[in-house]
Amino acid sequence: MSGYKLRKGKEIFFILAISILTLAGILPLFHIIATVFINGLPVILEKGFIFTGTLGEGGIGPAIAGTFILVFLSSLIGLPIALLVGIYAYEYPDSKIGKATKTLLQIMLEFPTILVGVFAMSIIVIPMGTYSAFAGAFALAIILMPYVAVYTQEAMRQIPFTYREASFGLGLSRIKVIFKILVPLAKRGILTGVLIGMAKVAGETAPLLFTAGGLYQSYPSSIAKPVGAVPLLIYTLVQSPSKADHAMAWGASLVLLLIFLLIFIPVRLSLREVKL
Amino acid sequence: MPGIKAFLHSLFFCCNLKKIIRRIDAFKLLTLPAVIFVFLLFAWMLGIYFYNALPAFIREGLAVYFENVWQAAEEAGKEYYGLASAIWGTLYTSLIAVTIALPISIAYSIFVVDYVPKKMKNILIIVSDMMAGLPTIIYGIWGAFILVPFLQKYVMTPLYKHLSFIPLFSSPPLTGYSYFSAGVLLGIMVTPFASAIIREAYQMIPFTYREAISSLGSTRYEATKVLLGYIKPAIFSGLILAFGRAVGETVAVSLVIGNTFNLSLGLFSPGYTISSLIANQFGNAFIYKHMLPVLYAGGLALFIIGLIINVAGLYLLKRWEENVRI
Repeated sequence: MSGYKLRKGKEIFFILAISILTLAGILPLFHIIATVFINGLPVILEKGFIFTGTLGEGGIGPAIAGTFILVFLSSLIGLPIALLVGIYAYEYPDSKIGKATKTLLQIMLEFPTILVGVFAMSIIVIPMGTYSAFAGAFALAIILMPYVAVYTQEAMRQIPFTYREASFGLGLSRIKVIFKILVPLAKRGILTGVLIGMAKVAGETAPLLFTAGGLYQSYPSSIAKPVGAVPLLIYTLVQSPSKADHAMAWGASLVLLLIFLLIFIPVRLSLREVKL
Repeated sequence: MPGIKAFLHSLFFCCNLKKIIRRIDAFKLLTLPAVIFVFLLFAWMLGIYFYNALPAFIREGLAVYFENVWQAAEEAGKEYYGLASAIWGTLYTSLIAVTIALPISIAYSIFVVDYVPKKMKNILIIVSDMMAGLPTIIYGIWGAFILVPFLQKYVMTPLYKHLSFIPLFSSPPLTGYSYFSAGVLLGIMVTPFASAIIREAYQMIPFTYREAISSLGSTRYEATKVLLGYIKPAIFSGLILAFGRAVGETVAVSLVIGNTFNLSLGLFSPGYTISSLIANQFGNAFIYKHMLPVLYAGGLALFIIGLIINVAGLYLLKRWEENVRI
């Protein structure tokens, strides 16, 4: 029976090992959330209302405004294209272009974001001669597109095939079938994709390094002028040697974490799988 | 614009033209330009990197990738740059990250699929998804202020003290900012991506196999061992894709790697990665005459490494999925 005991022993050791490893894998998230709250909350509470003012007053108001402007602008640029691309990939899944499109979207999902930032800098910032909200939004739009497109395609694929048959059976043209019947049916899934994409770009730093420029002493006034963003501000503050700046960075991190959680949790709870 | 609208309007109401338009397919007319735009955008990006990197290749040749020098000088003639240390740092830290992600993501997948009740399973999946989506700068600030001091005090210093005869541990952890810190942080960041792929694959294993193995009287450990063999290709592609993520990560890495031109096997010495090099040097590259093309050349390398890794990973995964479906 010693063979059996050995096997049983191995089994117990195995279960113990995977439990510990799993715990080690997810523990950082809780630690991160806890430290951001512990270090950030006192800063925000101490500053109170000032925290929404400019950096000179001890707040990050312009950065928050900048983040919202960037997310809005990048959605404006990226969403229409992303939706059309996603719909195309759904409609022609087996054609050569359709397959290539799907592969390209997957590659763009994984693509190093700093490269997108440098690209936007060389085609927008250098010709314009100045950092601008538009350049930042353009870079973010490139990052937003694949998320929205992939989600759109997945959401449309969930629609039962009979709806397609029925709509074509009515003699509708392809464009009407897709845009009048199938897209409205998939709107929930598409909206999820849009929100996930927005949550993603709201937290991006690397694409903004050489495009947005940063503006923290006054509120943004024009899309052709530099603009700040919360992640960008954190990156700058962390690199500064001053302790007061580090405290500000923690406060800003808490704000960013809250923005992320506010979008992510409702979306995540309303569906089963998320691809990031 | 109203002119075009009226024109289209008349087109749609003219019977013959309507037929022709239908043959061209209004749907394609609307969506295809968007698709072509995205392809062109991607090609344009590659073109921009290639075009801007060209002066570096002309001036230094391919040596720009293989030499470890970084001489920024006011006199243009004295400038000389090599990206070897950054490329080495990128590959080294990503390798550390994948080494950490491998056991954790496999254990997580087994644990989630086989051992936990459904409610707990959902929570674990949400946690993993959240880790995948968390803004990277939050990992960065946590890494710089919490993880690095922790690793320096409890991992690096003891290892250096007692095991410094091993080449990997031979460099003194002076500040804690090092390949090792960057690798660990990247490992934490990319584990969820590998987990998601491996978990899905593990879940896709046909139930008959599980039944067959159990009916042979195996313990769960033995069954898992066999089943893991079945999803080996998926594990491999999950790790490749995680490696791709690690290669491209910028801000979190640049806050913990120490940003020093260094080419060393020592885990605890500071270094550079391509992306952190671009993030750090791009701003002041305009002062010098020859630095900018070199940074673009680094970007090009990153572009191509990322492209190859992702295509390989996606291809392997797709091939495996097709095999399983049949």
